[in-house]
Amino acid sequence: MSTEIVPTAQDLADIVGQVWSSYLDTEGTDPLIPIEESPSTDIVASVSITGGWSGHVVVSCSDAAAKQAAAAFLMMDATEVSADDVTDVLGELANIVGGNVKSMLPASSMVSLPQVVNVSGGSVRWPACVQICELAGVWREEPVSIAMWQKTDLADGNG
Amino acid sequence: MRAIVIDDSRAMRLILRRIVGQLGFDVIEAEDGKAALDTLNSESEVPNLALVDWNMPNMNGLEFVTAVRADGRFKDMTLVMVTTESEQSQIVRALAAGAHEYVIKPFTQGAMLEKLALLGLVPSGATA
Repeated sequence: MSTEIVPTAQDLADIVGQVWSSYLDTEGTDPLIPIEESPSTDIVASVSITGGWSGHVVVSCSDAAAKQAAAAFLMMDATEVSADDVTDVLGELANIVGGNVKSMLPASSMVSLPQVVNVSGGSVRWPACVQICELAGVWREEPVSIAMWQKTDLADGNG
Repeated sequence: MRAIVIDDSRAMRLILRRIVGQLGFDVIEAEDGKAALDTLNSESEVPNLALVDWNMPNMNGLEFVTAVRADGRFKDMTLVMVTTESEQSQIVRALAAGAHEYVIKPFTQGAMLEKLALLGLVPSGATA
C-alpha cells in the first residue's frame, strides 16, 4: 500500500492562486474562474517530477490565453509578445507550479526542466499516467487548465 | 549599484531585471551558476547583489552560493535565493551556505522589494 503524500486539488488551487496573484492577476481583477469540464487548449507546458513521486504537472491554455499570460507576466503589451515570450512564460508557469507541488512531495523528488508544445488540432498523451486532479477555468474569457498526472502504479497504490 | 540575475528562465530574468532595475541597479544576467561565475570572473566590478535561482543546469544556485562564499573577492556581495524550493530544510541549507535571504516563487514585486529593503538595498525614496 502506498504511503505517498499526494497534493490535493485544493493544494493545486492554492498554488495556482498564488501564481495568479503574483503574476497574472496582480490587481485582483482577472481571476481564473473555475469551470466543470476540461477545456480544449492549444499550448501545453509541463514539468515532470521523478523520485519519491512520479508524474507530471501540466499547464495548458488557448493561444490567446498564452499570449495574454506572457504579456501579463512580462508586463508588456500583448501586441509586443513574441513566440519566444509565450514559450518562456508558459514554461516558467509550469516550473513554478511544479516546483511548489514538488515541495509537498518526498524530499527525494526532482523536477525536470519545462517542456512547451503547441498542440493545436492535436493532443499530448502521458503514457502510464492518470490525471489525479485538474483546475480547469476561464481566464480573460479564454480556457486554461492546470493538472497533475500521476504514474499509474503509484495511483493504483502499488508504488 | 550593480546586480546579477541568475536564472535559467528568461522570463524570470526579465521580471527580476525589471524589479531591481527600478531600484537603480545596473543589471547583468546569467542563465546558470557556471555562466554567472564566468561573468563575475570577467568583470572588474563586483555586483552588490546576486539574485540566484536554485534549480539550473550546469551549476545550480546552491553550488553557486557555495563557490562565491569561498572566494574572498565576493565577500561584500549580497546573495538572495529566488526559487520554488520551499522546504524548510532547503532554506536552511541555502542560508548555511551563505545566502543572505530567501524568496520563494511565486513572489509579488512588493514581497521582493520588502526583502531587498530588509537587506538595505532599496534606496530611500524608491518605491517599496
